[in-house]
Amino acid sequence: MRSFGLISIRSMVAAVGMATAMTLSVSASATPGVSDREILVGTIQDLSGPIAMLGTPVRDAMLMRFEEANQAGGVHGRMLRLAVEDAAYDPKRAVLAARKLVQRDQVFAFLANMGTPVVMATMQMIVDSGRPHLFPFSPHELTYTPLHPLKFQMFAPYQDYMDAAVRHMVGANGYRQTCLLYQDDDYGLEVMKGVEAGLAKIDMALVERTSYKRGATDFSSQVARLRAAGCDFVVLATVVRETVAVMAEARKIGWEVDMLVTASGYSAQTHELGGDAVEGLYGVTVLPHPYAEGADPALADWIDRYRARFGVAPNVWSAMGYTIADLFIQAADAAGPELTIEGFVSAMASLHTEGDIFGGPAYRFSPDDHLGNRYGRIAQIRDGRWEVLTDYVD
Amino acid sequence: MLRRMITFMQVLVSGFATGCIYGLVALSFVLIYKATETVSFMQGELLMVGAFAVLALNVGAGWPLWLAALCGVAGMVVLGAVLERSVLRRAIGQPHLTAVLLTFGLGMMMRGSVTTVPAASHSMHRLPFPFAGETLTVGPVPVAAEHVAVIVATVLLAAALTLFFRHTRAGLALRACSENPRIASLMGVSVSRMHTLAWALGAGLAACAGLMLAPVTFVHLNMGLIALKAFPAAVLGGMTSLPGALIAGIFLGIAEAIAGLMLPEGVKDIVPYALLMIALLLFPSGIGAAFARGGARLAR
Repeated sequence: MRSFGLISIRSMVAAVGMATAMTLSVSASATPGVSDREILVGTIQDLSGPIAMLGTPVRDAMLMRFEEANQAGGVHGRMLRLAVEDAAYDPKRAVLAARKLVQRDQVFAFLANMGTPVVMATMQMIVDSGRPHLFPFSPHELTYTPLHPLKFQMFAPYQDYMDAAVRHMVGANGYRQTCLLYQDDDYGLEVMKGVEAGLAKIDMALVERTSYKRGATDFSSQVARLRAAGCDFVVLATVVRETVAVMAEARKIGWEVDMLVTASGYSAQTHELGGDAVEGLYGVTVLPHPYAEGADPALADWIDRYRARFGVAPNVWSAMGYTIADLFIQAADAAGPELTIEGFVSAMASLHTEGDIFGGPAYRFSPDDHLGNRYGRIAQIRDGRWEVLTDYVD
Repeated sequence: MLRRMITFMQVLVSGFATGCIYGLVALSFVLIYKATETVSFMQGELLMVGAFAVLALNVGAGWPLWLAALCGVAGMVVLGAVLERSVLRRAIGQPHLTAVLLTFGLGMMMRGSVTTVPAASHSMHRLPFPFAGETLTVGPVPVAAEHVAVIVATVLLAAALTLFFRHTRAGLALRACSENPRIASLMGVSVSRMHTLAWALGAGLAACAGLMLAPVTFVHLNMGLIALKAFPAAVLGGMTSLPGALIAGIFLGIAEAIAGLMLPEGVKDIVPYALLMIALLLFPSGIGAAFARGGARLAR
């Protein structure tokens, strides 16, 4: 009995010692996704769904930036690895993807999750698991407000910059009858709120508004309706294809009206597909499109490298993906060699950048404000390409 | 007043053209359903793949557009036949759901294969039709050339299909097979060959619809979404009537466009479906059957 008791006490001591040692070793390497050699970052993209055209270049450009950083020795000696899950813009698949990335892959942070439905379905789960939720492609306020230590955003909500852009356009061009054509979903409604708020500030109101469902093919009735209302300025809450279709319809019926499209319609595709019909279209842009023609040497070199790596020319989404990955690297670098989530988010919350090779804005994060940029610029299609007309308007 | 009339006519023509495309896709649904009793949920994907095939031959391989279009559609006909021979045939004798799910799966595979081509998944594309972007004026009404092209092409295709079904051996055999496969096979018609033919034609028709849609909405991954509108047209047409499907498609296209112009904002999206419900209440077996009955009554 005595010996048994002794053994028991010894084994208990040993067990407690082991448990303590394990706890210590766990807390020493408790930062998920971070080892001595590697930082694993997760992203939920759309590579096969309705916005795969956005998701693919974003993923490619993030990979490219990570590969470049790795070739340059990584971040404090750690290689960056991107774990990509395809949710195809489907919230149900996104939840599974987020769970996999958190539990099985043990990623350090989530970067550039694609699409508002995806983000709304997964964001809470991600921050509850203690992972930073960085720069999702969802211009929704909830991605940075109310202030949360783990949420950071660089894309302003449509509401914010469309408010400013509409006021600027009306002020500069003296429009009297502003109208709106919007996609009948969260995106369109968000833009509508911004346009209404902007007009209210200058004591005006929308004269006519008309909507379409995603996937619509015919815009003749909407354009006829806007024309009948006597609009002299039409704001488009459309994406590329609809923008071209609406402009073409207006030109077909001989209606020369100024139109302004949100950043979702600001794409090189708009003038490539629209040709003459979209000449003169105004657009809001946050990052300029990386045109090869007339690019400065740094940008031209980047375009060449992108082309060599992926076999296609980069677009504005590639520039966004690259910028997002770059911001992550800057913050991880600033967090120092002992990378923890607390250290990383505190570095992120004081990150200030000074523009980039694309001509993007300077991002300013602070402990009280996790939205890096609030403003857009006005651009116009002239001679078949987007020309930026203004600085960031507020 | 004149301006209003002109606007009305413009919207009517646009709606008619859109309706023609709905109608063609609906035709492909019905063609397959009639012959094989399978609802194919991959028609949207076939349409998209067809348009991409033409694009690949034209832009990728540098073939002239007419040749690319011809070979692209022919390629899709072959693809339809191959899919029937290799996969869909195995669903015969199984519950209906098997075939439906099979078409779903095949559609996803087609979509997946297109996304593996970076150039296809990165952007939208245009087919360089000579008339794209041109505007014609019919009297005082400006009309988009692509809409006229869509209408003309639909009329030609409908005429070709009518000739095929009325005056060729294969067409008659396919009709016989759709009416009663057992008796058709007793008469020496090979039912399995007719199934292959139905899938091949269905795929070819979807590809034609894709070609027509290309100048209107460009070629991109989601262009097949139009099948969501075409399916109600097929149901409205009665699922078994080819002219019914075409007419129902045109009807939905026009109803949608006119509702957008005339009715209060927000109502237009309900209109096609409300009409669909009313029509199904009044004509439970579809517009096609109602027309046929009306015709028979007149003949009496």
